[in-house]
Amino acid sequence: MTTLTHRRCTPGALDELVAGAPVSSASLNDDHRRSLSARFRAVPTNHHRAIDAWMVEHGGRPHDGFAWSPVMTRRALANAALRRARAHDLNVLEAVNHEVDELIVRAAAGYVRAGSLASYLAQLSPEARAIVRAEAASWAAQLTEAASGLAHSWSVAVADAHYDVEHARTSLRARRDLVVEGPHGRVVVRVRAGAPGKSAGPGLRADLTIDALSDPEGCPSSRFVGLWPEAGVLLCVEGAMENLRAGARDLVRTAVAWGRYRLASAA
Amino acid sequence: MTSLLDTPPLGLLDSLRGDPARRPARDLTTAPGLRAHLEDELFALWGDVVLATPLVVRASSLRSVSAVELAQPLAQARGVLVNQTLRLLCVGADLERPFESALNAWRCEVGSNDLVNYVDALDADERARLASAVDAHARTLAGAFGPVGGRWLPRTGVRASQRLAGGNLILRDVVDLMVGSTATPHASVVLLDVTTAPLDANIERVTRYHALVQTLRTSTTPLRTSAFSTATGELWSHDVDAVLLHQALDELLEVVRRVGARS
Repeated sequence: MTTLTHRRCTPGALDELVAGAPVSSASLNDDHRRSLSARFRAVPTNHHRAIDAWMVEHGGRPHDGFAWSPVMTRRALANAALRRARAHDLNVLEAVNHEVDELIVRAAAGYVRAGSLASYLAQLSPEARAIVRAEAASWAAQLTEAASGLAHSWSVAVADAHYDVEHARTSLRARRDLVVEGPHGRVVVRVRAGAPGKSAGPGLRADLTIDALSDPEGCPSSRFVGLWPEAGVLLCVEGAMENLRAGARDLVRTAVAWGRYRLASAA
Repeated sequence: MTSLLDTPPLGLLDSLRGDPARRPARDLTTAPGLRAHLEDELFALWGDVVLATPLVVRASSLRSVSAVELAQPLAQARGVLVNQTLRLLCVGADLERPFESALNAWRCEVGSNDLVNYVDALDADERARLASAVDAHARTLAGAFGPVGGRWLPRTGVRASQRLAGGNLILRDVVDLMVGSTATPHASVVLLDVTTAPLDANIERVTRYHALVQTLRTSTTPLRTSAFSTATGELWSHDVDAVLLHQALDELLEVVRRVGARS
């Protein structure tokens, strides 16, 4: 049976979840990876599939076409700014400004590809860039606030978790924002806007599974925590084998539903 | 005779944040009681019934302004553009031409919507009227604002959403500007609502609603909730305490009963 823990986002609640994270003995070995690959291969596709927790939560519905906007930039900029702020003892606003300026310089030097964040920032007017900074600073501030109550050492995740399923034309991606070193292993925190829906649990389990698959040893985090600051809610799943299995099942089901969406849109 | 002040006047945010040495300890005990009280009152209203459509309450639900006035798109556009000015000020952007800057920022943020299209379709006279109004409001705001410290964790357009009564009631809120942190041992969060209308009882209710939703969201009582009018340059600020929060709760329940009876 899988469990989903719910907490109100009180000061110290995140720290309690980290401190109370259980010892996880589960791990994904080569047999598990081969089995998952076989299941994805059994769902035929002519296209490359990219699946994430959002698609799991939305029953396999493909993402709408991606376009940069201030809201779409805020997480990438805020996470990078927070890393910079911690490394160079800057405040959030200074770090965001440095981050944006550096990306613009890189775009001006021609070291970026079309469609990247840097090229998007480079073509914005100064006012539009200021709104991007404001969005990123607000996101970084709420991340700082969430992390500042932690008694355990933490870091901002360098990148999201990616896993390419062998011979199945499928790639999986899991969001991760903070990585906290708990007493029984790492705890991953994912921050989302809005409020959690009914399928937030399957989304977290999918992220937990992808995060474990992307680990070379296949070790899951002892807890995978979802934080919704707007709703003041924390949800978490533990790195147990039943949660990993449930996450993998949901990912395969999402691939099936995604295929049906594609067929329906092609018809 | 010319007389000079000994010290320069405090900026808006400096005066809101006040003297750090005199801040009260962080209050973590009021929020659970408030939530329990609210849930009890809502249970008395709805019992076990699950509404087909949840009742959504926003800050605007607490205003008693006539629907006609709220629906005026020109006033709405002015409010949105002045709010964009606030966001630009918070990151230290240059505001030489506030209307153009705010309009560019707004377009970048929302792309195209009915209100943006409405502004684009204005004739030259109406557009000039809107521009001069936004410029005047923005200059009032910029004049009062003062520098924003990055260590204060300024965040703009902070959204909140709280589900209550088993999902029958959803409280939604957007605070124009929030500074301070809930993680400090002393209360330091200040909420600011910027309005282009003169301050009145409606705005006071809205500021109390902001404090209530923020308390429910973070389980921590904010230090202050305030409103600034760019029409008059006035600032109203209230220290948040249990009395203010219970008043906000009573006002919320009144709205829930009124809107619930109508739907």
